[in-house]
Amino acid sequence: MAAKLERSEQALYTFATRGHRWRFVRKYWPLYVLSIPGILYFLIFRYIPLFGSAIAFQDYNVFKGIKGSEWVGLDNFKRMFQYAEFLPILRNTILIGLYDLVFAFPVPILLALLLNEVRAMLYKRIVQTVVYMPHFLSWVIVGGIVVGVLSPSTGIVNHLLSLFGIEPIYFLGENGFIRTILVGSGIWKDSGWGTIIYLAAIASIHPDLYEAAQMDGASRWRQIRSITIPCIMPTIVILFLLQIGNFLDFGFERVFVFLNPLNSDNGEIIDTYVYRAGLVDRQYSYTTAIGLFKSVVGLLLIVIGNKLSRRVSGEGLY
Amino acid sequence: MNKWWGYGLTLALATSLLAGCSGGGKRADPGKTESPSGGSQTKPQDDKGKPVKFSFLIPTTVSSGYHTRIPDLNKDKWVLKLEELTHTDIDLKIMEDSKYGVMFASNEIPDVVGSIGGPGSKSMSGSVESGIFMPLDDLLKTNAPNLMKLIPKAAWDTVTYDGKIYGIPEFLMNPSRRATYIRTDLLEKTGLKPPTTIEEFLDVLRAFKKIGVDTPYQMRENFKYADLVLGAFDVLPYKDQFELVDGKVQPKFFDSENMMKALNVYKTMYDEGLIAKEFATITSTDFTKSLDAGKAGMWSQNASGLVGYRTNVTRAIPEAKIDIIPSPKGPEGKGGYFLYSPVVRTFYINKNVDPERAAGIVQFFDWMVSPEAENFFTFGIEGDTYTKGADGKIDYKFPQTKEEQEEESFRSGTLWAVHDSTYNKLRLELNEDGRATLKAFDEVLSKEGLPGIGFYPELNTFSKYPDLAAPQPDVGPKIIIDHMVKMIYGKEPISDWPKVIDEYLSKGGKEILKEANERWNNKDGAILIENQ
Repeated sequence: MAAKLERSEQALYTFATRGHRWRFVRKYWPLYVLSIPGILYFLIFRYIPLFGSAIAFQDYNVFKGIKGSEWVGLDNFKRMFQYAEFLPILRNTILIGLYDLVFAFPVPILLALLLNEVRAMLYKRIVQTVVYMPHFLSWVIVGGIVVGVLSPSTGIVNHLLSLFGIEPIYFLGENGFIRTILVGSGIWKDSGWGTIIYLAAIASIHPDLYEAAQMDGASRWRQIRSITIPCIMPTIVILFLLQIGNFLDFGFERVFVFLNPLNSDNGEIIDTYVYRAGLVDRQYSYTTAIGLFKSVVGLLLIVIGNKLSRRVSGEGLY
Repeated sequence: MNKWWGYGLTLALATSLLAGCSGGGKRADPGKTESPSGGSQTKPQDDKGKPVKFSFLIPTTVSSGYHTRIPDLNKDKWVLKLEELTHTDIDLKIMEDSKYGVMFASNEIPDVVGSIGGPGSKSMSGSVESGIFMPLDDLLKTNAPNLMKLIPKAAWDTVTYDGKIYGIPEFLMNPSRRATYIRTDLLEKTGLKPPTTIEEFLDVLRAFKKIGVDTPYQMRENFKYADLVLGAFDVLPYKDQFELVDGKVQPKFFDSENMMKALNVYKTMYDEGLIAKEFATITSTDFTKSLDAGKAGMWSQNASGLVGYRTNVTRAIPEAKIDIIPSPKGPEGKGGYFLYSPVVRTFYINKNVDPERAAGIVQFFDWMVSPEAENFFTFGIEGDTYTKGADGKIDYKFPQTKEEQEEESFRSGTLWAVHDSTYNKLRLELNEDGRATLKAFDEVLSKEGLPGIGFYPELNTFSKYPDLAAPQPDVGPKIIIDHMVKMIYGKEPISDWPKVIDEYLSKGGKEILKEANERWNNKDGAILIENQ
């Protein structure tokens, strides 16, 4: 609600004359000065490097540079689509991204709602800290832990299974388990960290709303459904749209640490392929083409998602 | 007053910075611009003349070690001593080999660049082909008589591009580096003899399992350092393991019959629990941990690791006895591991270096194979790291701490650019484990190892089909490794191997074979690596 109102007010505000505008700018000049570093940052580190994407259409040679390298048109893109494993890799990337969106995205919201209901402050703080912790571990360490926990000979999971008379399972050696492991380890590592924004949004809800609801005899459950969730909805939508934009960027490290010949049929994604073909083999043009492809898909998804969201909920990124 | 000083200083700094930045073009003639009296027109090799001045980049594979602890490498005592001995003025830099791409892209290329492997290596980013470095044939002929005499032909061939020598190699006289290790104390318990064939090898592993050895043979992901059986059947799927069959070059894994036999042996080992059930996910860290904890009965490793294993394993198990044995042979009497490329590192000279300095640089490398150099790099400085007895016997202060070990490996590894790096004989002769290592090299390794054909620079088709190219010299192509692992785990029948070859051919292998055969027939950077 609040966000909507502000936006329409902004849109209505027009300056009568040029002088008005200048007076306005002069009055708030420190704000304009403050914005300069941010603008420069985006220009220098985000917009100018975009021109480097030109090498996706070249046969790039570091010694000749962008100016001297030969232009090859869409050859690199053609090669990408002709690669025999490209479809399975794209399929894996999309499926893993989808699972991540469906299963991992709601977890921080649930966790934040649950944490919000905890009465004992000390207990709440401790739980919060404990669920944050894994975020600060690198994927290499998380990978090591997961491989250890799931090991068929020494892992605790298989030890527990054996108590029920189940034969040890080589979880990382099965195509069927890899996506679950990838998404699950992500939930374990990052969902606690993801609660921060939601908790902040919940904290900013006006207590009056809850008091009024209590007067009307609403239960806790009813308050969550009718007050908390609607109030944090804009936050959820924005984070959801951002997540959609990163749909194909599942991340290289977190997949790479789990891949082996027995599970790569279902586990290899675009990022790990780019690593293999590009960084190990120094094929700058080819991998830039793949990266460009990913960015364009991400951009399309954001535009479509934003349109849909504005139509359905009235909220959007822009 | 002070303020003006400040301005002046800033200005001076700024100009010197500018000069530094634009130095690339003018650098060609530093002898004249920088000599104070202008009178030093003497040749650089003349002892009384000005020292030969050049910038020097040495590669490493790790981001830690002695050089990272030194604030200014150019004031390091080993570098200073090296300059004194060789009459040079070196501006030394050390960088991880994997970061060379960035260095080349920035176009600030030092006078001398060292790199791991030969001219076609990935870290060189095609710089040799692009003419960044100078051909050295004439310089070597006049200035490096010792190198010309000492370095084997295969090593020169590896650093040759388009008919000209572009680099000075750190070389291997004996390219057989890897060996089969066994816990002799456990073997004595079983009452068996050291295995000489694959059948005996399996029997020994079974006996190990019976007496409770945790891991009879230590495996590792991607068959790295776990390729004893592949070697015995001569089907190693590595980069330099092409072979001639009926006059045509093809990868060794095309030999379906032997490959299937080798895979069956691995499958037997897997089924009987002679190797870890999860070998597909055993990383190099797990591998080292398992070995150091004394869990393995047999394993494959570099022979130079013998001293380390004897120290580490006896720390965990005091009665452990570790030896290198001849590798078990396959049905055709072959065995061992792949022969390394004869070139370990290569050192290139920037084409912008003037001929006079280039000659001095070549002499600098030529000095490195002299007895004086050998003594310096091995033992260091007299009175500091070693003392000499009256009889001329050297009393070397062995490094004790990790820091001292790193310092030693900086001096005798990183800094000793050009020499035969098979082993450091002077150093190994000093103690018993070292002498055992020498013996293993001379009596075991020199008699085994699998020759193969390799391509330097690499085949172009490799970068076109990364799944079909070996990502590292000792790891097979992804498509091959994937099928091998699946077959051992029983997910695919081993009898399907001929289909794997068909798949390889249809996914780009045909082009690879075509290029390989053209290169071999034209003698264009195709190198036969064999035991000397």
